[in-house]
Amino acid sequence: MKKLIFFILFSSLITSLAFARSTGCKEGNCDNGYGKWVYTDKTTYEGEWVATKKHGQGTETWPNGYIYKGEFKESQWSGIGILFFPDGSTYEGEWANGFMNGKGTFTWSDGKQKTGIWKNGSFQE
Amino acid sequence: MEVSKNSFKTLSEPVKQFGGLVGIIILIFLTFFVLNNIFGEGDELVAKMKIEEERIAQERKLNKLISSLPSGILVSFDGTDNFKLSDELYEAVCKATKLIPQRAIMGANFLNFRAHEIYTINGNKIDETFVKWDDEKNKCFAGFVVSGNNVGVDETVKVSGEALSFLSTGIDTRIYFIKNF
Repeated sequence: MKKLIFFILFSSLITSLAFARSTGCKEGNCDNGYGKWVYTDKTTYEGEWVATKKHGQGTETWPNGYIYKGEFKESQWSGIGILFFPDGSTYEGEWANGFMNGKGTFTWSDGKQKTGIWKNGSFQE
Repeated sequence: MEVSKNSFKTLSEPVKQFGGLVGIIILIFLTFFVLNNIFGEGDELVAKMKIEEERIAQERKLNKLISSLPSGILVSFDGTDNFKLSDELYEAVCKATKLIPQRAIMGANFLNFRAHEIYTINGNKIDETFVKWDDEKNKCFAGFVVSGNNVGVDETVKVSGEALSFLSTGIDTRIYFIKNF
């Protein structure tokens, strides 16, 4: 009985360690420098880090096809960047606090474009 | 009356017992008939059972279809290396899909700041998700509802759009991209 309990506890420990290892810094320096971080849902960030935060130039790739390439500030999409949507649509321009904020161009997958000022993800007419 | 009473008395014991048995059977039938009329649903119940059987059959068919799909991203549009769904498969996968994972919700929130705010304030809580096949447009629509208190105001925001890609896990399918722009 004791052996069984030990086996169950040991298996749980190994399993949780295996899962814990599925997220984290996979390459480089993810504290200060250049590194690649992989999240549990397979989202990856590869780029510059400052004080353990995404800061500077980097690329964030989501498992469902969203890809952001550009500037990060305090781990948020801020500055100049381009977001690729899964269907091929893109937004290229200014970002602040993780949203389209400032001047930018949205291009639909069929080629249609809209350029102007964006505020919190909405186009300002 | 007196004559029938006397004639009953003259009957032999087996005949009396048989008559009693028939009487009890008729009484049981009548009791159940009355109870069925009061509490039973009759045709309505049969119709409900038929609908349920059809639903189970349909679900089995969809499960068989899902297990035959390749694992990974399934898309309904051209231009990617992912598995492209035919029109029939797109409809079937849409009808079989119920889950919307967090990244799909976060992606849709890029174009809906209010929804993003409520979603974040409430600890990524979603009130309701939905996936619907639109027969008129021949398209799959998916969305979610978030609600909560945002700066002292109770708000409810519904986000919906065309579901253009799915994730097949081999066990189920999930919405992967909601195009709400």
